[in-house]
Amino acid sequence: MSLPFKRVIQILPGIAFIAALLLPLELATRWNLVNRVFIPAPSAVFATTYDIIITGQVFAPLLTTLSLLAGGYAIGCLAAISFGILMGNYRRVYNLFEPLIELLRPIPKAALLPVMILFLGLGPAMKLTTVGLATFFPVLINTVQGVRAVDPVMINTARTFGHSGAAILWRILLPATAPYILAGMRISLSISLIVVIIAEMISANGGLGDVIVYGQRMFLVVESYAWLVIVAALGFALNFWFRWVERRTTFWVSPSNQ
Amino acid sequence: MAMVLPNHASATGGGKPTRPGAVAPAAKRGLVAQILDTRASGILLVIALLLLWEATARFGWVQSQNWPPFSAVMVALYRNILSGELLAVIGQTLWVTLRGYLLGCGLGIVIGFAIAMWRMARLTLEPTIDIMRTIPTTAVIPPLIFVFGLGDPLKIFAVAFAVVFPMALSTASGAGAIDPIYTQVARTFGLPRSYVLRRVYFPAALPFIMAGLRTSLGLALIVTVVSEMIAGNSGIGFYLFQTQYAMRVTDMYAAIILLTIVAYLINRLFLTWEGRVIHWARTREAT
Repeated sequence: MSLPFKRVIQILPGIAFIAALLLPLELATRWNLVNRVFIPAPSAVFATTYDIIITGQVFAPLLTTLSLLAGGYAIGCLAAISFGILMGNYRRVYNLFEPLIELLRPIPKAALLPVMILFLGLGPAMKLTTVGLATFFPVLINTVQGVRAVDPVMINTARTFGHSGAAILWRILLPATAPYILAGMRISLSISLIVVIIAEMISANGGLGDVIVYGQRMFLVVESYAWLVIVAALGFALNFWFRWVERRTTFWVSPSNQ
Repeated sequence: MAMVLPNHASATGGGKPTRPGAVAPAAKRGLVAQILDTRASGILLVIALLLLWEATARFGWVQSQNWPPFSAVMVALYRNILSGELLAVIGQTLWVTLRGYLLGCGLGIVIGFAIAMWRMARLTLEPTIDIMRTIPTTAVIPPLIFVFGLGDPLKIFAVAFAVVFPMALSTASGAGAIDPIYTQVARTFGLPRSYVLRRVYFPAALPFIMAGLRTSLGLALIVTVVSEMIAGNSGIGFYLFQTQYAMRVTDMYAAIILLTIVAYLINRLFLTWEGRVIHWARTREAT
């Protein structure tokens, strides 16, 4: 009985703060203290957001963005993890590729957009590649670090007991490296969301980035903010989902380590 | 598939010939093995790729306007730096980055300490931070054009927005992870709050603050470039698309290379500075 009450008391200040941010804005727009053309009332923005969702307008851009994000992210992660395990395991592979990666890693991946557009056009191939590249490097670096941090005694023990290479990979290397990989994947997720939206804004042929920029260019001020609310919700949901995945897959890592 | 970890032999043994036979004498291994066992192979790979780039463009193996030879890009880089064109462009970008970074980080550190030191501040601010920090910054920029217009304030705000929440969180986790004994001792001795903040919370949080500052630095640069692309009238993000539209691809590649060098140098400088500031925390951070 007392526990839910205590929880309510605890979330009250947070809600009050959000209200304290939005209420003056709402009143200022109602009383014409600020230019309503450029700064719409929060209530109007939320009403439009609701409309966009209810009428189903939200689905096409959301699905476009999500599929690009999922595709690019999956490609980037898979490539980075497999390559990272090779590099972490085999000294010669590491030696061969480490300088190249050191050169390519500091390139801000968004700066590659004009190049990607020159070679791949404005279609999904360009966006997938850019998202994949942005995802690749943080995951790769973390995977290599993780593999090299595995206690060699564990691997030698497994080999002494006659386990195959595949078993060592699945039972020892991947679980031991998982916290590192996931830390890299968490960084990559937020970067790839930034990158997919900028790519959509520039190519202007569908997706959440496109509708936001379209709203801005067409002076659909309220719509522009409403789409921002939707993108914010997407970012929040993705982060929430990722935390859940993290808890499920690396439950043995105590949360204090993060 | 044999899982060999040759790196551990030399890593744990420190390369000292304490264990005979652990490290083969260099002369016996032959040149190829020597190259493969050092970074030389990687440097050779980079050189080979650059030569391949040069050759494919020079001899027309790749027929494309988008594929200038590497040497031409380097010449353009040299020329555009000397003419001042690129320096002006990168200067505009860095000036925005710096202001947004300082604003966002300063605010983030203050919020972070507030959250760690007062329970009420945490309850009040945390939900908002949790919502705001997952918003991809790129999405914020177009609606904000209505508020700020296309000038520097918009970009500075975008950079500060991208940086402030991660910064607040890393500061708070640093100051929050402090051993309660320290704060209790401070309270037992009746030390004033400002003194406790300066001498107890701040040093405890410093390694986390530095880590946050470092990741924020890269983020700030990316967000500057991206906002220049969307709301562009200056800076390297704008320049990249300007040169792309004008089919000045050589200049475009030169700008990307310069941006990469700058990003790399900034990170290097920061690492050096970080090493000085928290030299005492090295061993702890390594764990």
